[in-house]
Amino acid sequence: MKSFDYVIKDELGIHARPAGILVKKLAAVKSSVTIAVKAKDKSADAKRLMAVMKMAVKQGDTVTVTVEGEDEDAAVAEIEQFFKENF
Amino acid sequence: MGFFSKLFKGGEDPANTLVSPVDGKAVAISEVSDPTFSEEILGKGLAIKPSSNTVYSPCDGTIDLMFDTGHAVNLISDSGIEILIHIGLDTVSLKGKHFKTLKNTGDKVKKGDALIEFEREEIANEGFDTIIPIVICNSDSYSSIKPVTGVDVKKGDNILSLEK
Repeated sequence: MKSFDYVIKDELGIHARPAGILVKKLAAVKSSVTIAVKAKDKSADAKRLMAVMKMAVKQGDTVTVTVEGEDEDAAVAEIEQFFKENF
Repeated sequence: MGFFSKLFKGGEDPANTLVSPVDGKAVAISEVSDPTFSEEILGKGLAIKPSSNTVYSPCDGTIDLMFDTGHAVNLISDSGIEILIHIGLDTVSLKGKHFKTLKNTGDKVKKGDALIEFEREEIANEGFDTIIPIVICNSDSYSSIKPVTGVDVKKGDNILSLEK
């Protein structure tokens, strides 16, 4: 199991479009991916679009992304980079 | 209604049919000038160019998420259809201005219940496209998703049928 924390920079947080591009990105990952905002006691399957939107992640939230599965080493680095570039 | 009764004749399953949330013109999702929708990143569906200012529920179900900005709403129908109704493009940046939510996350709704009022003219005047994409977020759960396109619709007309 691998994970990283990331503070959301995007002023509008993870709304519909960003949730869509995240879920699309993760479709290529074999591992399971969970997104959590521990401060708000919320977590979701990051591959499920409605679940990610329901998190209503805001600017300034610290999200914890956890990756677990056969490709977790490569996937966690790639997903962290994706968060830095998009959120 | 002759056109629609012909289009949807025979054995239409109301639990797997969505009705229009708004008056307007139904168009193909590929006509939405935002690749998030037109490339079906969020799922299959259609879009309505609205000619009225209230969004109504397209089905019996539950509000999974009323966006606090009022520009979008997620519903799960009683039959399990996951639906995103997104009012206008890039309207998240209005941060709630011109939108009034009438229901909350977790509310049970009936087909035709009013969900959101929006000031269509003002949103357009601020330079936003007011088109309303309606997307099935769990499109992968269905073998067939058939929207009507290229026709004027009224609130409550059938606009989309799904098959498992």
